[in-house]
Formats: sequence, structure tokens, C-alpha cells
Amino acid sequence: MSADGQTACRIDIQDFEGPLDLLLFLIRRDELDVTTIHVAEVAGQYLDYIREAEDLNLDIAGEYLVMAATLTRMKSRLLLPVERALMDDTEDPMETLMRHLVLYKAFKEVASELRENESIWRDVYTPPGERDRYEEDVTVTDPGQTSLLELLLALENMAEKNAPAPRHRIHKPLLSLTECVSVLDRLLSLESAKDFSDAVGKDADQAVVVSFFVAILELVKRGWITTEQSYPFADIVMKRKTERWEMNA
Amino acid sequence: MLDQLARQIEALLVATEEPVTVGRICELTGCGTESAEQAVLRIEAELASGGHSIVVARLAGGYRIVTDPELGFIVGQLFEGKRHSRLSRASLETLAVIAYRQPATRAQVEAVRGVNSDSAMRTLLERDLVKIEGRQETPGRPLLYGTTSRFLEYFGLNKLEHLPRTNEMENLLKLSAEDIERLASELSGEESDQII
Repeated sequence: MSADGQTACRIDIQDFEGPLDLLLFLIRRDELDVTTIHVAEVAGQYLDYIREAEDLNLDIAGEYLVMAATLTRMKSRLLLPVERALMDDTEDPMETLMRHLVLYKAFKEVASELRENESIWRDVYTPPGERDRYEEDVTVTDPGQTSLLELLLALENMAEKNAPAPRHRIHKPLLSLTECVSVLDRLLSLESAKDFSDAVGKDADQAVVVSFFVAILELVKRGWITTEQSYPFADIVMKRKTERWEMNA
Repeated sequence: MLDQLARQIEALLVATEEPVTVGRICELTGCGTESAEQAVLRIEAELASGGHSIVVARLAGGYRIVTDPELGFIVGQLFEGKRHSRLSRASLETLAVIAYRQPATRAQVEAVRGVNSDSAMRTLLERDLVKIEGRQETPGRPLLYGTTSRFLEYFGLNKLEHLPRTNEMENLLKLSAEDIERLASELSGEESDQII
């Protein structure tokens, strides 16, 4: 560990844009050249830094830990004597990392050049043009190219132009439970079963179906009919169980 | 004093919403490319000799008249509180990778930067500095991103070739192309790309 290694964590991990950035910082701090640095040395410093950060319970992003693992593996490889022949097969991960560092460093530098451009051009102002005053109100749009907002605006315009007089809508009341039960009373016999769809009729509307369904539930609850269904969503088969149905009982 | 053509072009460069290309100038004024370019030079000379506070900027492949950046501290007061903040370092780095390597996938960006670049990417899309250019025909069909003409304007660039160190970056990217692809495919295996 270098002399100032102890204070390494005073450098906030939040100041770095990731493990590569931190590595570059450590390399530059020791005035090393990215292309010629000794991996073991930098790896050691990186690991020290992460360990200290962990001791301080700092929240360390996963990427930093992955890099730490990679560096540890590299360091351990350095300690092992490896047959030259074996080495040639696989690419040296250190070289890959160095290439990666060089690449990242270049982008980092370019980014800071762009930062300079940004600060110059942020101070540049343009006349606002005529965009607000002469906004086209008739735009030809290809089918399918209209935005939802435009459609809604168009709809609103139309609605305003020929707004209909307010109307009352009268809802047909649901069939009452007693009505449904009396229909079923007439339909169902003790001898043969009957399909639900037959009971409500072929093109029954939703309200009718719901009313009859509620009636069936009531009848089952009272133990007056039995129902069967061969599979989910299949037609419900109903069978009468008791002779007399006394609704008010 | 400016001649008739130069006056016409000057008016276009003031009133325009986005940089006007030479082609468009020729179309609108009926002059040729050469004379349009010459006229722009005359406008510049006139503005400079008169000590004016506006200059002709060459941006995103066209021209427009803008205020002198040196006066930004004065003009900026008109827009206090309305201006975008500067881009974060993460956004700038992300943007740099996309700019040189476009069209690029998010995984490729992350491969270079070594960190998740989700939120940076979102900022750049929101600020219209990058756009989706399609999907890469590889497993998972990740989205491809490229820079916009707003990007060029934002950084005062005339064209992409004017990015800093274009040659150097191109060579570097060539050298590391394999590394990036390998890392990117590792990354894209872990998470699927969503439209953000």
C-alpha cells in the first residue's frame, strides 16, 4: 500500500463513473502509464480501496466488485508458474483489460472535450424564429402517422362543432330474481337436465345472462337444483332437485 | 453595406428554426452554391467589421445566425431557470460512445464504459440528443442508437466528422472491436433491452 493508501477512501467512490474510471484514477495518481503499468500494483491498490470502502459500509455498485474479482484472479495468476505453451492458448486477460482501459480513457477524454464545446455553445442563443406565430394549422398527415394527441384534439373540435342536445338514457332494468326463478321453475323438471344456454335463450343480452346466473346461484344455495359443468366455461347443466320452490320461505 | 442576395440570406439565417443548408438557401433565393457561400462570407465580414453581437454559426450541416457566446452571461439572464442543466459525466461519456460508434446498442456502450448506462441513455433520448435507429439483427434484437442533428447543434459541430480526434477514435474502436462485442454480448445476455 502506498503512503497515502490509508486515506484512499477520502476520495468518494461516488466521484467515479465506474471501476474503469477508478482504475484510471489510481494509475494517474501514481503517475503511471496505462500501457506499461504493473497490473499487480494497480490491482493491489484497487482492492485496498474497495476493501476500505466496504469497511466504511459504503454502498458499492456491483460493477466495482466484479472488477475486484477479475483483478484478484489476475493477481493470483501472476503468482503461479505457467507453462508458456499453455499461456499462448488463451488470451492474456491483463492485455484485454489494458486495451479496455486505453479505450475508456480515450472516450473519457473526448467526453471532456465535448464538455468544453457544451459550455461554449450553451452560451449561444438563437432568434426564436417564427415557430409560434406561423405554426401550420393544416398539416397533411400520412395514414398511421397521427399522434394520439392530434386525434383527441380533432375529436374535441368535432364535438364542439355539433354538440348534441343532452339526452337521457333509460336503462332497461335487470330481470328480478323472482322473475328468473319463476322462468326456471317452469323450465326445469325432476326427470331431465337442462342447459343454461337454453334457459336464457340463444341471443340473450348480457343483463339477462347475469340475472339468470345470479338466480342459479340462489337456487343452488337453497339446494333446489344441482349444476354440473364438464370443463371451465362449458355450458352449465342444471337439474331440479326439489318439487316445490317457495321463494318467500 | 450588404448586397441584395446577402441581405436575403442574412434574413433567412435570422428567422430560421434550424440551421439552413446551402442547398436550401439556393432553393429559396435562386442563387448557385458558390454565390451562396460567398454571400455568407460577406455577411460574416459585415457583422465582424460592424462589431455586431451576432455571428454566423456553421452547425449541423447548415448556417444560422446566433449571438456571440461571449455575451452569454448577459443573454442568459432572459432565460434564467428555463435552460437545461449541463449533461452529467455519465451522459457525456455515453453520448461520446454512441457518437463515434453509431449505430450502437446499449450493451456496447456499457461494454466500453464498464457501468450500467440506463439512466444516462434515458436523459439523452429525452433531450433529443440521441435517437433510436432500429434494431440489431442479433439474438434479442437490441435497439440501436445514433446521434441527432440536435446533438451536432448542442456541441456546435457542423458534421460528425468534426468530432474531436475522429481518426484516433476510429482506430481505437477498430482495435477493440472484438473486446467490445464480447463484453456486449455478455451484458446483453444478462438483461433484455427495453424501450425506454
